[in-house]
Amino acid sequence: MAGFLYMSDLMFKTLSYAVLVRCGPGDLARSLSAIEFVQELLAQGHGLERVFFYQQGVLCASNLRVVPQGEVDITALWQTLAQEHGIELGVCIAGALHNGIVDAQEAERYELDHSNLALGFSLVGLGQLAAASADCDRLVSFGAGV
Amino acid sequence: MSCILTLTRAPYESQAAKESLDVALVLAAFEQNPGILFIDDGVLQLLPTSNHPSPAKHIGKIISALEMYDINELWVEQESLQQLGLTVEQLSQPVKLILRKDVASLLAKFDQHLVF
Repeated sequence: MAGFLYMSDLMFKTLSYAVLVRCGPGDLARSLSAIEFVQELLAQGHGLERVFFYQQGVLCASNLRVVPQGEVDITALWQTLAQEHGIELGVCIAGALHNGIVDAQEAERYELDHSNLALGFSLVGLGQLAAASADCDRLVSFGAGV
Repeated sequence: MSCILTLTRAPYESQAAKESLDVALVLAAFEQNPGILFIDDGVLQLLPTSNHPSPAKHIGKIISALEMYDINELWVEQESLQQLGLTVEQLSQPVKLILRKDVASLLAKFDQHLVF
């Protein structure tokens, strides 16, 4: 049995992944599924092209949400992952603007009083999703609306 | 990578229909011409809406742009069409009809599948 396990380790092939997050941080189970999936694929030595936040997923990128004590801070979990592994957290810029999430540059462009994009996230075009889906071996989507 | 999008949402219930079509157009712009399968209320996106009922962006205009982006592979699930009491002649685009039992084998032909 030990020999068998050893052989399967040798045959282990790493893949490159792109992850699409489409649920907001309030959708706790789905959000945690995405985060735990990313943690696990990195732990197993796979590559991650990019995490892309679309639809309600863009809400994960706000730094103005206050999480009650004892509850899980989805934004902070993504930030920790980005910091520890240097992964890219790309947020659909159209969706972000639509949902009131702006970085300093967009705040200036639209003459808004504040910016609120959480550290570690960046506003990117939807093309970055297409590029990631073209470059990765596996595209995995979390939080599809039902 | 080949990709197929399954669109299940009515055109104006939320932003979802527009967001899904935006993904289709961007994939096409990146030369990964996706296929599109319309099921359930998603079929309603294919109705010609000359007096479009909503202040939201006209979904019909995006649908009619698909051809210009070389997105020519449009499927409609026959059972969904029937359930809505529609016929293929009422749709704004030429589509291929597919039976529910054949959907799985259609999806299997693509590397990626996104459901909206």
